[in-house]
Amino acid sequence: MKKRQLTKFNLCYPRTIVYMLQASEYKFRDYLYWYFRVEDFRNVECRKRLQRTTKSLFLLISAWLIVISFGMVGTFVLYTRPDIYGVVLFLLFILCGFYFLAYIIILPFLMVNILQYPIEMWITRNARQTLENHKALKIAVAGSFGKTTMREILKTVFSEEIKTVAPPFSYNTPLGISKFVKSLKGDEEILLFELGEHYPGDIKRLCRLIQPDMGVITGVNEAHLEKFKSLEKTTATIFELADYLKGKTVYINGESDLARQKALPEHILYTRQGVGGWKITHAKSDLSGTHFTIRKGDIILNLESGLLGLHQTGPLSMAAHMVFSLGVTEEGIVRGIKKTKPFSHRMEPKVESPGVTLIDDSYNGNPFGFYAAIDFLMYLTGYRRFYLTPGLVEIGEKTKEIHEEIGQKLANSGVEKVILIKNSVTGYIANGLKRANFKGDLLWFDDALSAFESLPYLTAEGDVVLIQNDWPDRYN
Amino acid sequence: MKKTVAVIFGGRSGEHDVSIITAHIPIIRSLLATGEYNVVPIYISKDGSWFSENAMNKIEYFKDENYEDKLTRNKKVRLLFDGGLKLIWPGIKIKSLSIDVVFPAMHGTFGEDGSLMGLLRMAGVPFVGCDLHASAVAMDKVFTKQILAAEGISVVPFVWFEKSSWEKDRSALLKKTSHLKRPVFVKPVHLGSSIAVTKAKTEKELENALEVAFHYDEKVLVEESVEDLIEVTLPIMGNEKLQLACIERPLNKTEFFDFDSKYLSGEEKGSGVNAGISEMPANIGEDLSREVKTLGKKTYYALGCTGTARVDFLIEKKPSAKVYVNEVNTLPGSLYHHNWKKAGVSGAELVTRLIILAEERFSKERKTTYTFESDVLKKLNGFKIKE
Repeated sequence: MKKRQLTKFNLCYPRTIVYMLQASEYKFRDYLYWYFRVEDFRNVECRKRLQRTTKSLFLLISAWLIVISFGMVGTFVLYTRPDIYGVVLFLLFILCGFYFLAYIIILPFLMVNILQYPIEMWITRNARQTLENHKALKIAVAGSFGKTTMREILKTVFSEEIKTVAPPFSYNTPLGISKFVKSLKGDEEILLFELGEHYPGDIKRLCRLIQPDMGVITGVNEAHLEKFKSLEKTTATIFELADYLKGKTVYINGESDLARQKALPEHILYTRQGVGGWKITHAKSDLSGTHFTIRKGDIILNLESGLLGLHQTGPLSMAAHMVFSLGVTEEGIVRGIKKTKPFSHRMEPKVESPGVTLIDDSYNGNPFGFYAAIDFLMYLTGYRRFYLTPGLVEIGEKTKEIHEEIGQKLANSGVEKVILIKNSVTGYIANGLKRANFKGDLLWFDDALSAFESLPYLTAEGDVVLIQNDWPDRYN
Repeated sequence: MKKTVAVIFGGRSGEHDVSIITAHIPIIRSLLATGEYNVVPIYISKDGSWFSENAMNKIEYFKDENYEDKLTRNKKVRLLFDGGLKLIWPGIKIKSLSIDVVFPAMHGTFGEDGSLMGLLRMAGVPFVGCDLHASAVAMDKVFTKQILAAEGISVVPFVWFEKSSWEKDRSALLKKTSHLKRPVFVKPVHLGSSIAVTKAKTEKELENALEVAFHYDEKVLVEESVEDLIEVTLPIMGNEKLQLACIERPLNKTEFFDFDSKYLSGEEKGSGVNAGISEMPANIGEDLSREVKTLGKKTYYALGCTGTARVDFLIEKKPSAKVYVNEVNTLPGSLYHHNWKKAGVSGAELVTRLIILAEERFSKERKTTYTFESDVLKKLNGFKIKE
């Protein structure tokens, strides 16, 4: 506690406060939640740095003006009262400038928001109008996990025969999507959108902006549970897409219990067994990718994809089903699925010298993804397997239960080495490992960076290392 | 409870800087990666002073151009042999630390040559790698060849000279080399990393090469050059039961494998000696591979190596494939960890196994009786010295 207070008094503190606001995506609730957890304000900006934007620069200047203003008041007091009391008051004002900065910053922050709001409204209104007049078929993807992968699978497969575009990166907020809409030329045939959800109502707002014609719900789980407070709220929020698309085509991941339970008879379920009457057989997955066959009546498609993990057969077959229903040929589907590759930081294999394969799954931060990755390792034979993780965040009251389950699944998978990063959740993984009588080696590191730096010294040729999830600074 | 491992590096040697690399990549980093050890770096400067501070666990400390100046302001660490090895940091508040195992990472003179091993034997502390005798013999290329030849292991024909004889009668010594086929290699006997090794084709070149070699050493070896050859090397680990890494063929860019090509020409600088410029496993066929492995083990045992060593071979391609043992390195640069990695042994496993081997040898040695009760001193007064 003493350290927490003392470390506020350093010249980097104003920058730290602005960084925390930026890294919390300017969500004041998230910022405050983080602020009260920080134990040492000197070590906040570790994994990323403050990005220079107009907003962050304005807040940084404001932060310094707050500190300087307190200093000036203190100097004035000292000038008017040049005695010991004056000195004490002067020092007190200097300290107060730093001490109350984290709260006073709310004023310039609100000012920016007030100025920003009408501008944002105007931008999103323009985007909505553009989309309303756009002739393309609009497909929206929502879910607690797997949205980006689904968006990219659909984009790759559709693009074989139909002009398809989707926002880059993880543009899944009203402003991000509006920015993308500005780049449209008007001749696109399919528009794909990923819908981001943080709070109830988010999906409904995005649906009003996009006005989708079809939808995909990739699943519901405990991701962001800390913000939603209950799985019912998470489910309801994600199913705002299905509500909006009443009477229209919606695909739902049947492997997600919560999504399946909420699905209506008119919805199309997809699982690793098949989709909409199409059956999946002969599925296998290794470091080279995933191979499977789908068949319906006379139609038999032997498909291969660069994506890793049997859990991908569901989304891949769903993509095949959807694009087939929209006119893509069988040959186009085979070609398109073959072109699907692991996406950046999502079960992305990288061959490390000498002969060590690293599977980068650092953007995977949900229980379903964790289980799927462990499942993949379980069936990977002929390698010594390492599994490195800092665990999951934002899963609220389920934290203990889910992490213990991860530990048990790891132990049962036969993974040889588990590397855990010391934090508030990995102890539960260790408990799970112990409970399931884990036979391999358990290694601990103080932080992710030192674990990554040690990997070249822990591995040898023929090893496979799966790196699962990466915690941003605000969870450390 | 974590064991305390002291890694000793630097030293009064031409391979001082290489030793710093070996100590950090892979030894210290691998030891830290295991999470099993407290790692204490001990740096011996070029003038023989001993220093130790935590910051030395990072190689960046030594990349600082002014690190030697910085060291002059540091307190030297002292050694205490008190039922083992203790480090003492002098000052108002004296700090001491007991060392459980020493990991020598010193190449060349005063380190790899057995000097450091002698000191550690005196201290009574387990240490990684070959013991004093094997280190001293392997450091002397002439002793190595003489022992191997006596054990029936093929070595290239050679002669050797001492500096004093060279200074007395050059022509007589040059004559001694006349039976060797030209070209020949001239090598300082006690230096590693191919320092001052020269290939001589003519008498003039031989004389110059000897001059260069005697500049670095008191004892010089002249041996036939095996032309049309394949050089291979084999890292070995173990005390009694041996584990072999991959047979490695350095694909050197220069006419022979000199200091620069060993340590500076690698495509993957910093990842270890020869990384990126070697063929592993060497494509020499099953028969030759088997012979190299057999000779490697025989050599390792003949010299009494323990812990780890690297045996270098010359394979003459014509007229018929013949394998010669060239030399033995008791502390291979960077422990040849790139090769062990290829053989499926990670850096962390390598250092851990070497520590276990060191402890095994130490506990075995402790069972040996070195002293016994004697009444010779009591009897001394009773004797009359005969004149």
